Amino acid sequence: MAKRILIIGLDGVPYSLLTSLREQGVLPNLDSVIKKGLFGSMEVCLPPISSVSWSSFMTGKDPSYHGVYGFTDITAKYQLRFPFFADLKVPTFFDLMGEKGCQSVVINLPSTYPVRAFPGVLISGFVAVELARAVYPPSLLPRLQAMKYRVDLDLARARSDKEFLFKDLQATLELRRKAVDLLWKEIPWTLFMVVVTGTDRLHHYAFDSLEDPQDPHHQAFVDYYRSVDSFIGEQLDRFEKDFAGDDRLVLLLSDHGFTGLDKEVYINRLLVQKGFLAFSADNPKMISDLDPKQTRAFALDPGRIYVNLKGRFSNGTVEPSDREKVLEELSDLLTNLHFNERSVAAGVYRREDLYRGPLAEEAPDLVFLTHRGFDPKGAVASPKVFGASGLTGMHTHDDAFYLLYASDGEVNQTPQIITDLSGIVLDWLDA
Amino acid sequence: MEDSERQRLWSLPLEEKLAQAEEVIVEAFDRFGREIAATWTGGKDSTTLIWLIRRVCRRLDRPFPISLFIDEGDIFPEIQALIEKVSQKWEIPVEVVRNDNVLRLVKDIGDPVKVAELNDLNRRELDLLEFAEPEFPFEPESYVGNHLMKTVPVKLFIEQKGLTALFTAIRWDEHDARESEDFFSPREDPSHVRVQPILHFRERDIWDVIHTYKLPFCELYAQGYRSLGARYNTRPVDDIPAWEQDFDNIPERLGRGQNKEQIMEQLRNLGYM
Repeated sequence: MAKRILIIGLDGVPYSLLTSLREQGVLPNLDSVIKKGLFGSMEVCLPPISSVSWSSFMTGKDPSYHGVYGFTDITAKYQLRFPFFADLKVPTFFDLMGEKGCQSVVINLPSTYPVRAFPGVLISGFVAVELARAVYPPSLLPRLQAMKYRVDLDLARARSDKEFLFKDLQATLELRRKAVDLLWKEIPWTLFMVVVTGTDRLHHYAFDSLEDPQDPHHQAFVDYYRSVDSFIGEQLDRFEKDFAGDDRLVLLLSDHGFTGLDKEVYINRLLVQKGFLAFSADNPKMISDLDPKQTRAFALDPGRIYVNLKGRFSNGTVEPSDREKVLEELSDLLTNLHFNERSVAAGVYRREDLYRGPLAEEAPDLVFLTHRGFDPKGAVASPKVFGASGLTGMHTHDDAFYLLYASDGEVNQTPQIITDLSGIVLDWLDA
Repeated sequence: MEDSERQRLWSLPLEEKLAQAEEVIVEAFDRFGREIAATWTGGKDSTTLIWLIRRVCRRLDRPFPISLFIDEGDIFPEIQALIEKVSQKWEIPVEVVRNDNVLRLVKDIGDPVKVAELNDLNRRELDLLEFAEPEFPFEPESYVGNHLMKTVPVKLFIEQKGLTALFTAIRWDEHDARESEDFFSPREDPSHVRVQPILHFRERDIWDVIHTYKLPFCELYAQGYRSLGARYNTRPVDDIPAWEQDFDNIPERLGRGQNKEQIMEQLRNLGYM
């Protein structure tokens, strides 16, 4: 019997939110799968950010194996660079399946840009800024252009205009639906995956509308979830109908949790105040404006802290023998950070304790995890340690969700962390 | 050029494409005499063009024109090795041009370049670009970097040598914007003519020529690179050799640089950076 896999990703959707919306009857389609499948919360790799999470999902490995620690990387010369999809150091399960002749169709998966040779069809997700480099095979491009396919919302506008946000969320969900329609029968596939990223955008920009039932946009927030649920229902229906004779595996998942945001925490400002970091420019714009000779440590989004170590960075100031001392000072500083009597730190983790893979040396020296409500930021321009930028939601490393259902009943492994899922999928396929 | 003519040239068999290219080279020698030089990047296209020019020169018994290699400051060692090996074997004199003024101020990609420390010439060139920041990171393929590290040295070279024409190895099928190019395309600042004899070759044709005539090529192509640029900004596209890749479905320039500014803007909108 042939085997088919359908994966639907919901970027940034917390288990707890799905549970409560489900209880309110907002998610009838999802509910029907939850009733027959395995549904639960899971953790994601640190730091909890889409590029790391989706890379970890598709490789089944943590960042110290695949090499992606964030949307940005820092070079030995303190310059930001953006990891390419081709920079992943281990194969994805799409590649492993491809070696066995099984093709995949993947739509809107973050961190797959620019596309490279791919066993099947791939439309990259965030941060895919040029559609022409986000589509494999490129022969597909004219048809996507004809439908005015977009990878993302108009973020600049959606951020400041909530009416527009909700309109554009629906418009991009509709484009995702059209892309699925277009590709459903394009090639004979074993695996079909589509990711809804609007959920993450909604949460970043309007989590407050969820938390306050009196908020004028509360209903629009819930309605978007109804639309996402209908979208899921359509895909599940046609999967079941078109492949009724096959063994089918359905996986739904998110790549991190989400929670309300009270204060952004500008770690670099704290490091400046405490003498760990100095900038060479009066109005620094990016971390590359730091003054290496006056810097012992600096931070990148989200909560990644690097020691300016000799040997690692071109103008490193910290001797390897002093690293431990600097880490202790930083840990003390972050652990004891408070805002109005509230403790900020949920944990300050050392590289050695988080990452064991061959690329662990490329990891940040510390990862700063905060209590809910405090969002750690790598921004450099803020004059204060605590502030706000207009965003109302933040990621969490726990409370991501998975939902697994196999028509043959052959899935009973419970994932603890997002990297467990690729093994579960491949095992099911091989069984 | 008319679209129909371009289609006709594209559809010629390989030998006729080569003959057409040689005709362009001969005409260029007739028109520009010794006032023409050939750019050589070490990539597959320009190495093929250098080979063709050399073939014409030997047939006509004329000296090989000066060939010009631009060191933009981040050259793959494999390219360097190819140029050294082939220039010796084919006895082709190579002149290396570079923007020394900038290169003296930097060591690695990303090193800050302070505009105040640049010489008048480079500062004037930045003015032409309407670049007003006090410094920029050294990146040979950024907008500013490309101009200072490639355009400016070539410009100086043309002026100093009194050239009126330059052979270049661009092809129509590299990207749509090149379809308006002709075998002889005039340029301004400085005024000269770009002679482009292999415009009508497709990527496949280039590899066919390389394999048929056993031309040397940079080993990076065997590692999956399809198109070569500055080292920091170029990646392989696949793990099989370039000539075995699916030309119709994988764009040649896929492994080349990203649009950094646009990516940063998107990240900023989600609260990163």
